[in-house]
Amino acid sequence: MSGGYNEIHPEPTTFISKYLISFDHKVIAKQFLWYGIFFLGLGGLMALLIRWTLAYPGVPFPVLGNLLFPDSAGIVPPDSYAMLFTMHGTIMIFYAITPILIGAFGNYCIPLMIGARDMAFPMLNMLSFWFAFLSGVVLITSLFLPLGAASGAWTSYPTLSTMIGSPGAGQTFWCVAIFLFGISSTMGAVNYVTTVITLRAPGMGYFDMPLTIWGLWLTAILNAIFVPVLGAGVILLTLDRVLGTTFFLAGASATSGSGDPVLFQHVFWIFGHPEVYILILPAWGIVSDLLSFFSRKPAFGAKSTALAMTAVTVLSTLVYGHHMFTTQMSPLLTQSFMTLTMTISIPSAIFFANWLGTIWKGSIRFDSPMLFSLGVVFVFGLGGLTGLHLGTVTTDLYLHDTYFVVGHFHYTMAASVLLGGFAGIYFWFPKMFGKMMNEKLAKLHFWGTMIPLNGVFFGMLMIGYGGMHRRIYNPFVYDSLKRLIPINEFVTISAILMGLFQIVFVINFLWSLKKGPKAPNNPWEVGTLEWTIPSPPVHHNYDEIPVVKCGPHELGNPNLKTGRDFQYQTEELVQG
Amino acid sequence: MKRADLQSNLAMTVTLIMGAMLFTTLFMGYAIYRSASTYWPPMGFAKVALGLPTFSTFLILVSSLFCYLARVATQVRKVEKARLYLHLTLILGLAFMLTQGFLWSHLKATGVYVSSGIFASILYGFTWIHAAHVILGLGTLLYLEIVLKNTSDSTIRKVINVEKFWHFLGIIWLIMYFTIFVL
Repeated sequence: MSGGYNEIHPEPTTFISKYLISFDHKVIAKQFLWYGIFFLGLGGLMALLIRWTLAYPGVPFPVLGNLLFPDSAGIVPPDSYAMLFTMHGTIMIFYAITPILIGAFGNYCIPLMIGARDMAFPMLNMLSFWFAFLSGVVLITSLFLPLGAASGAWTSYPTLSTMIGSPGAGQTFWCVAIFLFGISSTMGAVNYVTTVITLRAPGMGYFDMPLTIWGLWLTAILNAIFVPVLGAGVILLTLDRVLGTTFFLAGASATSGSGDPVLFQHVFWIFGHPEVYILILPAWGIVSDLLSFFSRKPAFGAKSTALAMTAVTVLSTLVYGHHMFTTQMSPLLTQSFMTLTMTISIPSAIFFANWLGTIWKGSIRFDSPMLFSLGVVFVFGLGGLTGLHLGTVTTDLYLHDTYFVVGHFHYTMAASVLLGGFAGIYFWFPKMFGKMMNEKLAKLHFWGTMIPLNGVFFGMLMIGYGGMHRRIYNPFVYDSLKRLIPINEFVTISAILMGLFQIVFVINFLWSLKKGPKAPNNPWEVGTLEWTIPSPPVHHNYDEIPVVKCGPHELGNPNLKTGRDFQYQTEELVQG
Repeated sequence: MKRADLQSNLAMTVTLIMGAMLFTTLFMGYAIYRSASTYWPPMGFAKVALGLPTFSTFLILVSSLFCYLARVATQVRKVEKARLYLHLTLILGLAFMLTQGFLWSHLKATGVYVSSGIFASILYGFTWIHAAHVILGLGTLLYLEIVLKNTSDSTIRKVINVEKFWHFLGIIWLIMYFTIFVL
């Protein structure tokens, strides 16, 4: 059901209806982008505080230390340390990656790339942002509570997260914030799923959609199914904390019946494992498209890439147990989860091979979006391979809860998604704001991110393999970990470097926004629908709904006689 | 099917899947608590008397029936009739909430407090979460009271969606009634 009814909404005129309570998907996308970049900065600062503490325990944090921790002379205190890694994880996953990759790119790209004038439900879209905003306010408020914010890690396992483990109100605020954010995510999911199914331009079949849209669509489906599971978990946790139920409190089972702390882990990871794919799927989609665009070649096996991503989506719902190998799970069950986890390698290897096939013998243009995309290919390869050690029971029993895990999920979730997000920002910035970004600064930003990033996360893999635990405040009180001090310092210096190079990005972003040269309609010379209209697009996107006649990756066709090496999706496929 | 109808149906389907996942998670937890426990109800507790929950079940099922009739009347463009059935749905929905209130005070009177362990946690927690959704459902019924003035296509879509949500709440209650109170 594509084509036909797709109305033009009147353009808003007042400041409030234009920028604040906007129903326009492009404005909402930008709201999510600013929101995400703000939290990325906040989460990044927390990461630096954590790293500083691990490399130089007992040394005051430079510059900001005295301001943040006046009572301890600028040294991060142990309780604040637990709070920092909890909030770092929460903020990065829910408040930085989700808004940028799903909120900003989802809202911006879905209607434009499928040739629609807006989302199916513009008002729901607006509410989705403001629920996210409210959730962010609750989370930030929790930082200023008397006993501080949540400190039971982003996974919030009971009993760390019950009233026994976290007596303050911080954990309750955390639950409320996550629940509100879940409402926002599911509202977005309803919108994305419906929009992709019903508002594709006439002629656009599912396999004519850019792979970016495939990634975002699969993400929305996973969001709709699994965010409510976490919702149920945090409701029960909140009831335990506020109203005195005992769902997650262990007790004397024969007399009053016992709650079950491990049940929360099951609920959390039934949601949590799909969540990691919720975060990575949009980045996979973006990278799959960009590799083709900048290699000036059709995406190798685009259909199989889409199907492989679908297969990963399905499999991702069946493997959550690999997070819980050390919870005295039955060996029969651990073996099953291990086998299913290993099965994910097959579709992952398929689209990974397709990525390599796409760039193979391409006439590659090393523009900044391409550099970041190639960065994703590299770091995701490393992240995926280190996942095998953790998905295997025998090695996981040794590596569980070490920095190896931290290194692994940062390679997959942080590095891949961050680089994918930057690739997307550099790629769509001209369309979003009608200005070009500075390419030299962009390249400097790439290398300044890519090299220290590997220093940080590869270093983490090494100290993890060396036996350092994930969440201890000062590892050097243990003699066995003293030999890891130099690597920890190396990781911290890399992290500081990487943090400093993000300033290049912020300057480039803000400067280009104000003073960047005007962007042409199609600066990257690609054929998807959003590049057929002006930059930035008019309020209703398309004066006339486009009719799609070919796929999104028709580049480098030798039969083209138009003087360009690509064709738009609105043009009939040129054949020899 | 018209595009607007398709969009409406799809969005409601996704919404109901979300609701179903939330309650499925709760029931999965319940199954684990039940199967891990030697005695159920745990020592010191008795089964809840079935009278009140059965009456609640009766109320919500009849209200579902009226909701169905309201939708059918809207579709055959009989606004007055539809509004009458809508009033009845709303009244029975409120009556359901009232019986839930009685249930909670009955539990308290028989010494089953919120903090009395997992048995009480499930009785209170699950009915609270369901009740919160019923309040949401009552809100959508009130909204229909305002908009059900004509039988335009968009009104019909709204009535259909509210009807689906209301049936969903009835089904969830029915499952709760059998698994928590009867079994």
